[in-house]
Amino acid sequence: MSNQKQAADPRMQEENDQSSAGLVSAFFAAIGEPIVYVTRTVKELSALFLVTIKYVIAGKRRPDEVVAQMFEIGNRSVVFIAVTLGFLGMILIYQAGFQAMKITGDLTLLGALFLQLLMREFGPTITALMIATRVGTGMAAELGSMVVTDQVDAMKMCAAEPIEYLVVPRFIASTIMVIVLTIVAVLISYLAGALTAYTAFDVNFRTYFDLGFVSYFDIIIGLTKALAYGMTIPIIACHAGLNVFGGSEGVGRATTQSVVNASLAVVVIDFIISGLGYVVLALF
Amino acid sequence: MGRIVFKNIHKAFGSKVVLRGVDLTVEPGAVFFVIGQSGAGKSVLVKHLIGLIEPDEGQIFLDDVEVTNLHEKDFYPIRKRCAMVFQNSTLFDSMTLLENVMLPIRKHLKLNKEEIRALAIEKLTLVGMEQFGDRYAADFGDGMRKKVAIARALTLNPEYVIFDEPTTGIDPISAAMVDKLIRHLADHHDVTSIVISHDLRSIFGIADRIAMLYKGKLIMDGTQDDFRNTDNPIIQQFINGRPEGPMEI
Repeated sequence: MSNQKQAADPRMQEENDQSSAGLVSAFFAAIGEPIVYVTRTVKELSALFLVTIKYVIAGKRRPDEVVAQMFEIGNRSVVFIAVTLGFLGMILIYQAGFQAMKITGDLTLLGALFLQLLMREFGPTITALMIATRVGTGMAAELGSMVVTDQVDAMKMCAAEPIEYLVVPRFIASTIMVIVLTIVAVLISYLAGALTAYTAFDVNFRTYFDLGFVSYFDIIIGLTKALAYGMTIPIIACHAGLNVFGGSEGVGRATTQSVVNASLAVVVIDFIISGLGYVVLALF
Repeated sequence: MGRIVFKNIHKAFGSKVVLRGVDLTVEPGAVFFVIGQSGAGKSVLVKHLIGLIEPDEGQIFLDDVEVTNLHEKDFYPIRKRCAMVFQNSTLFDSMTLLENVMLPIRKHLKLNKEEIRALAIEKLTLVGMEQFGDRYAADFGDGMRKKVAIARALTLNPEYVIFDEPTTGIDPISAAMVDKLIRHLADHHDVTSIVISHDLRSIFGIADRIAMLYKGKLIMDGTQDDFRNTDNPIIQQFINGRPEGPMEI
């Protein structure tokens, strides 16, 4: 009996060791897999961005296609952006005014501070998140559908480079229209805030429309963010669309991947540009 | 014109393994059918030849020259020699039929506008669609679109043509016309055709050689008679179209 137990122990020990090794392996795989995925995706996105820039500079000009995409991205999004940012302006001013009334009761800086916040942060970032949702998913779905129906392969067979034909017009249009939409969004949100401040707290328009806090840095940071978002969203969306596999299910995956990656990219870029902005601001 | 060789081709998309080491040789001038269930990896295999898909492992040779993993621009001359008719026709709806056929000519050949137009009309005539040249692709159904896609594939007088399910979704008369055209290209123009198909009438009508893929592997490569006479129950089930049998659906 004792001998049997002694014989079984090494086997049990071996099984335990194997089980521990499996767990360790699974643990490192769980950590490593997302790192590999992110590294590979960033590498592919960087390559797509560089090729797109090459075609923007040296490729054939297609103004009609760019205008069509600008209409799709800009004109078709303006109501959505206006409503979203308008409501956001009303909510933020109401909340800020409400809190300020409880603490100091002084609302004279409400408009000035809100404008600075809108320009530096909310205007470009919320607009970009909305564009990533409305336009980015559309791009990913459109290109993904072209991939699963072999249209992209057919372009390659005709020696037409899909990046030049499909990505470049969307990239140029998005870069321009995200800047334009950001400016529209800031104006509408600021005006909606003015109406709320006047209606809810009796802040008169002359007090509200105070540009004293806004500096060139705020404008530059806001526009830099809009420029960066405008370039990033179509690259991420087109990358997701062009890498679709597996039919309509793959198109669904690509749209989800597009909106998730683009939203994450917007937040990360926001953090980087804001951080750099404050560093630069500290130097002057 | 030489042979096409696929050597130990492996391909997976994410966790989905499609090809598990396929070896295949296509002799010049043949009408070579690749058959198998949907999802068996037929289209994936042939797309490797023209650089539309890169293999995870393995090599592809065209005329004894390796064409595996070339740079995108290095595939342009191969795509001039080796055309493809896609399963979905893939005409550009915003263009007329004539513009669709003119596109590869404009991109690949240095011809003037009149020459490009004349060549495109010649190819549309080959498939009996010349009278519709100025109408938009979106106005036509699958059968007619497929004919135009074939005309477009033939514009550069390719040595090899890949037909991905050319008779699927078209009427029997058009299908017979497509079969006749594929046979005509092989017999009179020495064009090597690789045809992906489930259409048993086409397979046993015009094939010189047939290869069958099952679960990402080549299970048989032979003539029509080899396929008719084989004892392999999977092949017998497939070519007789029986719902019951060893083939997993």
